[in-house]
Amino acid sequence: MNHPSEPPREAGRPLSHLDRSVAQIRSELGIDPVSVDGIRDPRIYALEQEKIFRRTWLKVATTSELPETGDYKVKELPVVDTSLLVVRGKDGKVRAFHNVCTHRGNKVVPNADFETLGRARAGVVTCRFHGWVFGTDGPLRSVPLEEAFGTLDKACLGLREINCEVWQGFVFVNLAEEPEQTLADYLGDFGTLFAGYPYEEASTIFRYSTVLECNWKVALYAFSEGYHVPTIHAGSLPGFRGIEHADFKLIGPHASSTIYGAGMDTAASTAQFAGVLHASEHHGPRPDLLPPGINPTRRPDFQFELPNIFPNFIIHLASGCGYPGMAYFTHQFWPLDHGRTLWEGINYFRPARTAAERVAQFHVNALHRNAWLEDTATMEDSFVGIRSGAIDSMQLMDQEFLIRHAMRVQQSYLAA
Amino acid sequence: MTMSHLAPLPFGFEDLAPFVEKWARPTETGRNAIRWSASAEEFADFYATFMPRLASALERLDGVALDAMNEGEKTLFLLTAAFAEAAPHHELYGGSAEVPFSFAARRFVPAHGDTPSSAKAMR
Ligand code: FES
Ligand SMILES: [Fe+2]
Repeated sequence: MNHPSEPPREAGRPLSHLDRSVAQIRSELGIDPVSVDGIRDPRIYALEQEKIFRRTWLKVATTSELPETGDYKVKELPVVDTSLLVVRGKDGKVRAFHNVCTHRGNKVVPNADFETLGRARAGVVTCRFHGWVFGTDGPLRSVPLEEAFGTLDKACLGLREINCEVWQGFVFVNLAEEPEQTLADYLGDFGTLFAGYPYEEASTIFRYSTVLECNWKVALYAFSEGYHVPTIHAGSLPGFRGIEHADFKLIGPHASSTIYGAGMDTAASTAQFAGVLHASEHHGPRPDLLPPGINPTRRPDFQFELPNIFPNFIIHLASGCGYPGMAYFTHQFWPLDHGRTLWEGINYFRPARTAAERVAQFHVNALHRNAWLEDTATMEDSFVGIRSGAIDSMQLMDQEFLIRHAMRVQQSYLAA
Repeated sequence: MTMSHLAPLPFGFEDLAPFVEKWARPTETGRNAIRWSASAEEFADFYATFMPRLASALERLDGVALDAMNEGEKTLFLLTAAFAEAAPHHELYGGSAEVPFSFAARRFVPAHGDTPSSAKAMR
């Protein structure tokens, strides 16, 4: 089932069944406070490792990170005790393997950090321990002193492959031996709704990561709502007004909504930097590029679409309408253990052509990075608070429905 | 690290020269280090001089392809990049080198390395 595939294009198929009013999400998801046990109980984290992270499709790379034959990414996934090797083979196909040598288990490609990018020469990777050589498409190619093993069934000693599929340039893996669903089925209507945006054209990326001393869901939830914007972002997004969460979408395990808004007070320097990007057809607001089901009436005050892809991935699609010049940005939340999380935030722009476009991107990226510093300031404190036992539940308002929905999906996976 | 090896600013931007030594750095990491150590007065000085010249700087830089800058334009580019990151500290953060009420900026790792742009920069 390892075939880089586009989801089936069901052009014209109405997706309006996904849009819900506040009254509808209230009746479907309820309005009661929700328990914090899922965050504070380490036993629940152990269950999540088996029942969520080993069963669902997890985004681990983008195809634009691996443009050439032999390009690879090593990604550490402690949540599933796995070092992953994602590599583009000679046939152009992106595959995922356990980064584990079949001789005695060493990492085939050593890594310096949670993720490392590189390029394999001549279509092979070589384990440094004893020199076993593997093709970038998996097979064991050669073994030093092979005759000294007496017997060695090289045909069965290729790299151990992991199910890997591609949607819209996002590379996903599934650690299950036999995934319950294909990626297309897992994404379902989400895959249809969000398909067609030129994600890969936004190949200029600014990527930040940090290790947070909190449960992964504290970080996920903090980035899953806009209720906090006027308060926590009073510094970096002053005067944010007219914020409206609308078009609530429940899409199987995934969910989304749209943020419309009148914007904010723009500082004098920001107005000039933004002007460079807005004046360019290449970087300016492009509501026309949004998939037809997103902002379907093409409201001019569209800012972002705010989807959560279960269990730990967010794509905030803006098409230049929110932060000037920014096509989209993503978040991912990788548990390292119950109380530690690797957060990754990536801003995606289309490549700058002029020097002015690049400095304008620096400015927009800096503003957004600074806003992320405001977001992350709450997470470790919230986790301490929740672990203290002082509160047993969280109160959730309408704009926090993505949290309510995610908790429901988590519970259904844990109960399965 | 001094920037004395940088070429002089292009003709017409000589008035910005006193800021090159302090602010112009080739990488985001380098610009961060300068910003984190700047005082409110330094932000205010840089802002007072550069902001009225920002439109001209952007116009000049908009006329040159990102990979075709001459040495003087590179200096102007790096100084404008420094301003792009420094301006919010004056405009929004009251001259503070830190974003108020924020997470420790030093714990945020710019994993894109010296320049943005996906894989190549991270190799
Ligand atoms: S463990 Fe890889 S060659 Fe021995
Ligand atoms: Fe935020």
